Amino acid sequence: MTQFITAFFSGSSHGAIYALVSMGLVLVWRGAGVVNFAQMGQAMFTTYIASQLIMHKYSYWIAFVIALSAGAILGSIVDFGIMRPLSGRKKSAILASESMRTTIPVIASLGVLGILKALAGIIWAGEERGFPSPVSTNGIKFGTSTLAFTAFDLFVIGIVLITLLLTTLFFTKTGMGLAMRASALNPEVTRLSGVRIKSVRTLSWAISGAASSLAGLLITPSTNLSPNTLDLLLIVGFTAAVIGGLTSLVGSVIGGFAIGYVISFVNVYSSPENVFLAILLFLLLMLFLRPQGIFGTKEVRRV
Amino acid sequence: MFSIKRIWTKSLFVSLLFLLGLFALGKTVGAYNQSQLASVATLFIGVLSVTLLTGASGQISLGQGAIMAVGGYAAALLVLNLGLSMWLAFILAIVIAAVAGLLLGLAAARLTGPYLAGTTLVIALAIPTLANRFESTLGGDVGLSVDVGNPPAWLGKLLGEIGIEQWQLFVAIPFSALALFSVINLSRSRTGRVWRAIRDNEVAASLHGLNVARNKVIAFVCASGLAGLAGALYGFRGIVGPSVYPIDLSLALLTGAVIGGLRSITGALVGTVFIVFLPDLIGKVTGVFKVSEQVSNYLPALVSGVLLLLTIVINPAGIAAATSQIAKHRHRTK
Amino acid sequence: MLEIKDLVTEFASVQALSGVSFTAATGKITTVIGANGAGKSTLLRTISGLERATRGQILWNGLDVTKLSVEAIVRSGISQVPEGHAVISQLSVAENIELGALFRKRKARADVAKSIAEVYELFPILFERKSQMAGALSGGERQMLAISRALVARPNLLLLDEPSLGLAPLIAEQIINAINELCRSTGLTVLLVEQNANTALSVADHGVLLALGKVVAQMPAAQMIADESLRAAYLGY
Repeated sequence: MTQFITAFFSGSSHGAIYALVSMGLVLVWRGAGVVNFAQMGQAMFTTYIASQLIMHKYSYWIAFVIALSAGAILGSIVDFGIMRPLSGRKKSAILASESMRTTIPVIASLGVLGILKALAGIIWAGEERGFPSPVSTNGIKFGTSTLAFTAFDLFVIGIVLITLLLTTLFFTKTGMGLAMRASALNPEVTRLSGVRIKSVRTLSWAISGAASSLAGLLITPSTNLSPNTLDLLLIVGFTAAVIGGLTSLVGSVIGGFAIGYVISFVNVYSSPENVFLAILLFLLLMLFLRPQGIFGTKEVRRV
Repeated sequence: MFSIKRIWTKSLFVSLLFLLGLFALGKTVGAYNQSQLASVATLFIGVLSVTLLTGASGQISLGQGAIMAVGGYAAALLVLNLGLSMWLAFILAIVIAAVAGLLLGLAAARLTGPYLAGTTLVIALAIPTLANRFESTLGGDVGLSVDVGNPPAWLGKLLGEIGIEQWQLFVAIPFSALALFSVINLSRSRTGRVWRAIRDNEVAASLHGLNVARNKVIAFVCASGLAGLAGALYGFRGIVGPSVYPIDLSLALLTGAVIGGLRSITGALVGTVFIVFLPDLIGKVTGVFKVSEQVSNYLPALVSGVLLLLTIVINPAGIAAATSQIAKHRHRTK
Repeated sequence: MLEIKDLVTEFASVQALSGVSFTAATGKITTVIGANGAGKSTLLRTISGLERATRGQILWNGLDVTKLSVEAIVRSGISQVPEGHAVISQLSVAENIELGALFRKRKARADVAKSIAEVYELFPILFERKSQMAGALSGGERQMLAISRALVARPNLLLLDEPSLGLAPLIAEQIINAINELCRSTGLTVLLVEQNANTALSVADHGVLLALGKVVAQMPAAQMIADESLRAAYLGY
């Protein structure tokens, strides 16, 4: 029984973080039509910024806010500096190829990832460093026993739930949120309504950047920080997004928790070595049985 | 219309030229450079697999490094456990990697763009964990020790003293030339044309009666065979282990292919030279400027990333296309 | 006043518009009619910025809008209701309408509320259905919604692309009459593209006949309706 509880709690708190990563991927996919493989590189970079601030005796929360802002700014820079010029290009013959048009942004984001990792190594060196958590990471005492659940886990779940709430409110109750939803659903009608789609797209990148920064801050206390530690988080987030459906924000959250539970249960009941294979299996299963994910919509191919 | 005979003659000529050129170069340079040339010959095969898969058939795979691992482990196990000769093991490694490519291709045929990239990325990260899962057979993190052995006596009598690095180079060269020969022929064959049709417009291709899924899988099989060969050669420099085939390897192959020119075989060679010689080149530059070790460790990666990005944004078809465009322009303005 | 001067729009070396010139007077309804493929839709899409003109000029009240972005053109007072009752099915009626007014400045908030109230008055059925998904509406209701979205932007020039397409004649007439009323009461300039020449010409002030990307005739609508040879040659009846 304790095994189950451990797996459940760990799955919940990690699942919450995966939900954030997955949400970030879906935001950029819906808003810009790109799967941002550099996302966790951005998160790693901004977490380093936070780490430096903390090392120089700034409070965790100041570092927290600055990391999130840096994430938003970094995301906007990637859209402005790279993705916009990329979508404006018409010259090269290689772009006439349909498959290349979807492949090229992927390669571009891999380039950004490589650059961010290298920059982090240059600026802050490659050794692993720890990252603090604002609350205790010891098991919560319940009566005489200690649960396999820490205050930090609660903190993570709490923050992510708050983020989800704020995001939902943003999308359903604000004009900007409406503009973002509309431009993902029907760009032409949205443009005819006078909405600046390019700005909306940059905003998607910015929000996604902030979300991934948050994910970075929340996971590094347990994984430690180095230029490479967040790579795995990307593929977990990607799998989560595919499970939930790359077009659905709600799906991305559910996918995040789902994969969180899969991983934690495999960890506890099987062995850590099987985790990757489990993720791979899940991914392949999803892509074969229901490629649009649980909540995604089938993309209609116009012949 | 080129006749089959003409295609084969031309590609044979080019491949032999390549083979003799590398051989001659190998005889003139020192041990360290021989080792680098061996890397060029080996990784050229790997980059060709990317050029074939992504450039010719339009499928992006971030897992070519993992297929290289499959080839490496296959060859190593065949030599260590079954006592096969290295040469036979290499040939079989191609076949085994091709089978892996078949499975991968079947899974990938329905996927496009980011889905394909993401899935191959997951596979690239999952396969190395198998080494730990089956530690007894696969050697875990440490890996398996294999090497190319000693050059045969008759060769030593012919050419004089042959160092380890030189022998590594000599082993790699014929396979490299073979890979070049195959890719040129594939590219000019009907299959190559079918791949390009699929790459440019899948729907139109299938409306023309082409079996899109089957040809995409064939592309994966061929590319994986190549990658497996590269992986076997790569591993036989000393170790076959997870640290030899990290995700960075897959990315390096992709970077080399893109920068050199995704659609060009010459571009693949240019890209390979780039990824092999870049670290040293940067090392020389930073040596002049007395840069810290921290920076010099990561500078090659930074330069690679920047060049990759610049290539993709400015001219996605890479250096090869850019130079041919410049040549065409000059010709027109003459 | 809308002035179109020698407008040429090309797609892959095919000229959809081969030098179109005409004027649409302020506060009047100008209708552009012609057979399928004459270039009517392309004309509207070029004016609204969805298509880029290859050559020529579009002047709206003296302002050259030929090369402006779609968003900038909307902000200069030109709104298009594209073909096919274009609404966003996955958003509610109220959200679709709200979308049309998003770009308007914060200070205009009171007027935005007013303009929304006005469209609900114009099309009461939309008010009844305001929380429903746009995808659940009938064809006619969707078209009303599409027009409402354009109207809350408080345009000075309204471009309508075949509003009666796919609608039952009664509903289509209802909608065209509503537009007519709107134009007369608010002084809105309307450019109406229609396949149904009769209905269009009966409410319009001015008619422009398009054939194969060129203007073949333009005259007061009443004259055009009466001209039998034109009708026979270009409209097939």
